[in-house]
Amino acid sequence: MANIAAKRIKREIIEVVKGEEGVLKLELVNNAWTDLLGEIAGPPDTPYEGGLFKLEIKIPETYPFNPPKVRFITKVWHPNVSSVTGAICLDILKDQWAAALTLRTVLLSIQALLASAEPNDPQDAVVARQYIENEPLFELTARHWTNVYANGPTVVWEFNQKVQTLLEMGVDEHNARVALSTYNWDVEGATEQIFS
Amino acid sequence: MAETSETKPSASAPGGDAGGEEDKRDERMLECNICLDTARDAVVSMCGHLFCWPCLHQWLETRPSRQVCPVCKAAISRDKVIPLYGRGNTKQEDPRNKVPPRPAGQRTEPENNSGFPGFSFGEGFHMSFGIGAFPFGVFTSTFNFGDPRPSAAPRGTAQYEEEQFLSKIFLWVAILFVLWLIFA
Ligand SMILES: [Zn+2]
Ligand SMILES: [Zn+2]
Repeated sequence: MANIAAKRIKREIIEVVKGEEGVLKLELVNNAWTDLLGEIAGPPDTPYEGGLFKLEIKIPETYPFNPPKVRFITKVWHPNVSSVTGAICLDILKDQWAAALTLRTVLLSIQALLASAEPNDPQDAVVARQYIENEPLFELTARHWTNVYANGPTVVWEFNQKVQTLLEMGVDEHNARVALSTYNWDVEGATEQIFS
Repeated sequence: MAETSETKPSASAPGGDAGGEEDKRDERMLECNICLDTARDAVVSMCGHLFCWPCLHQWLETRPSRQVCPVCKAAISRDKVIPLYGRGNTKQEDPRNKVPPRPAGQRTEPENNSGFPGFSFGEGFHMSFGIGAFPFGVFTSTFNFGDPRPSAAPRGTAQYEEEQFLSKIFLWVAILFVLWLIFA
């Protein structure tokens, strides 16, 4: 890996460790400086509040001239994050990247993205549609995902029961949750989609 | 109370470190915004952001179609950065020997308070002296026809014809200028 990239990553880890304790985390996965693990806390007053979200960070050879590749490892229900792959739709990770941006600013931007969705520039069309058509249901679904996948505090019993119903039909838990979330928690619609 | 005040001297060793912290903060002012290290072959953009020239050069090469400052995203270009020369730095090594070459500094002569010498019509003689070198400079170059200058285009080519044509125009302008100087 290019010398400048490794040197910078070293500095950036120190920078994150020094600042924002408890809000951000950044650590190495291997000794090659190419793979990192990030963690952000869900922003307060959002459905993600109280959750901890892990991110996979891959540093390209040409860093910092090209952006790092970042995706959610923790499953998230958000219009700008793929509920399947964790891919993030964020301009600074694409054409708006600038070499002076750091992993700290990237993590803070992703945190800010959780607090302000852009449903008109979606990464996940299903989530974006729900966000636009039924925002209260979207919020509850996002809260439920935060509880299940990110250790968030809010338990949504109704949704848990519906997932349980599909589990008893032999459906995989995550697939059941995705199908129910997609069909606005209509069990019949979800089952039809799964068994069709 | 005495005990607490006595513990202070022992804590003054980290106090010395605090001074070091301050030095580090000062150093950060001179860190390149791209590699985050102390800037080498430093250049500063028109928006005031500091970079190593090799770092900035690579950034501009990476995105030729979108040349913006990596910090504030102001428009930026190779021709619009200013190299910074620290004391004792300039003579030791020619930055052009390095790859990529760093853009040269530009020197603008300080403004002369007496305005444009040579165009103040009150002082007639002064005027012709001030710009007198121009026509003669043209004469010397226009009367160099026969000279096989290395930069001259070979005879018969379009460029040669063009140069001839331009030379003639310059000659006429020069003659008119001299006539104007004599009769004005
Ligand atoms: Zn640099
Ligand atoms: Zn700038």
